[in-house]
Amino acid sequence: MDGLAVLAIVAKAIGYGATLLAIGGVLFSVVFAKRAEASVLRLARQLAVGAALVGLAVLAIRFGIRAARISGMGFEGATDPMMLGFVWESPLGTAAIWRGVGEIAILAVLVPRIGQWIALVGSLAVAISFAQVGHALGDPRMVLAVMLALHILAAAFWVGALVPLRRAALTPSGVDVLHHFGNVAAFGVAFLIFAGTALAWLLSGSVTALFGTAYGLGLLLKVAIVAVLLGFAAFNKIRLVPALRAEKPGATHALRRSISIEMLAVVLILLATATITSVTTPPVNL
Amino acid sequence: MIKQFLLGLAVAAAPVVAAAHSKSEATTPADGATVTEVSELSMRFDDPMRIISVTLTATDDDIEIERETGMEPATEFRAMPLEELAPGSYRFDWRGMASDGHPMQGSFSFTVTE
Repeated sequence: MDGLAVLAIVAKAIGYGATLLAIGGVLFSVVFAKRAEASVLRLARQLAVGAALVGLAVLAIRFGIRAARISGMGFEGATDPMMLGFVWESPLGTAAIWRGVGEIAILAVLVPRIGQWIALVGSLAVAISFAQVGHALGDPRMVLAVMLALHILAAAFWVGALVPLRRAALTPSGVDVLHHFGNVAAFGVAFLIFAGTALAWLLSGSVTALFGTAYGLGLLLKVAIVAVLLGFAAFNKIRLVPALRAEKPGATHALRRSISIEMLAVVLILLATATITSVTTPPVNL
Repeated sequence: MIKQFLLGLAVAAAPVVAAAHSKSEATTPADGATVTEVSELSMRFDDPMRIISVTLTATDDDIEIERETGMEPATEFRAMPLEELAPGSYRFDWRGMASDGHPMQGSFSFTVTE
């Protein structure tokens, strides 16, 4: 494990985060267009645009890191045209086109009316980009691609909503937005778990493979952190949002702190995912 | 904590990674073999591999080798040492990219005797 490999994992995790925030910001601003205050919607759109820009930068950096890693020249390889050409010809090049075009389309979310539809199509392209690389290219390819795209859209809806929701808790209409999110997210989480389980099943092949391989153990660790995150989300929905509605003292502070902890859990999940998808191989591919 | 976690996972994963994209890799000379002469260095892969950089090192310095296989993805890679290899131990290192875009690297060692 060299420095470049660690750097590649960190860049990948940041790329995941940027992607989820960009898609999630767009989804939030569309789903809550009528319920949330203008300031909260503006924050969601700004988040989407900022994340899309970070995503584009990370995409370029990851190309350089990949070129450096295959070149054997160290950092000098990052700008070598021939090495960059090899990376461009690989599946990473195809994925980069989908992701890059999608992230640029997400910038349109700042344009009134038509812009949000362009950004939605961009979000879909970004989600599909994940199905263009790595072991998602295995069989059954179509099922893997659909499940992975759904998994990313559902995760993005949740992750991208955290920052706007944290702001919404301070606004007069916040309780309604938070309550509505709880209802929509319940379906989103069901989707997330369904798609995640289907992917784990297709890529692991058996329950024993989950416990006997590095990929399986990494995945179980990720699921454990997700379970903690779900616990906080359920607590928010069942206890803290009703407390906010009842205007109990300290309810706003408790809810905002709980959402902050959720954000930390998301960071850990993304780092775990980036590590699993970089250094381990799904059991069915062994 | 995060760094330790990453390292821990990497250590746990190392044997898996090594086995991943190069299942039926065979080399000439074989890894760990003792041979009297080396007319060529070769590696076989079960899936086309783009070999980008190769080095042959003796105990203290790099030995010049000539590639017969270019940088296009291939299931067989061949190179020749430019001069006869003197007795001693050698290590061949390579880096490249698997057809799925994954960065790959590997090495094998052998000993030359009189």
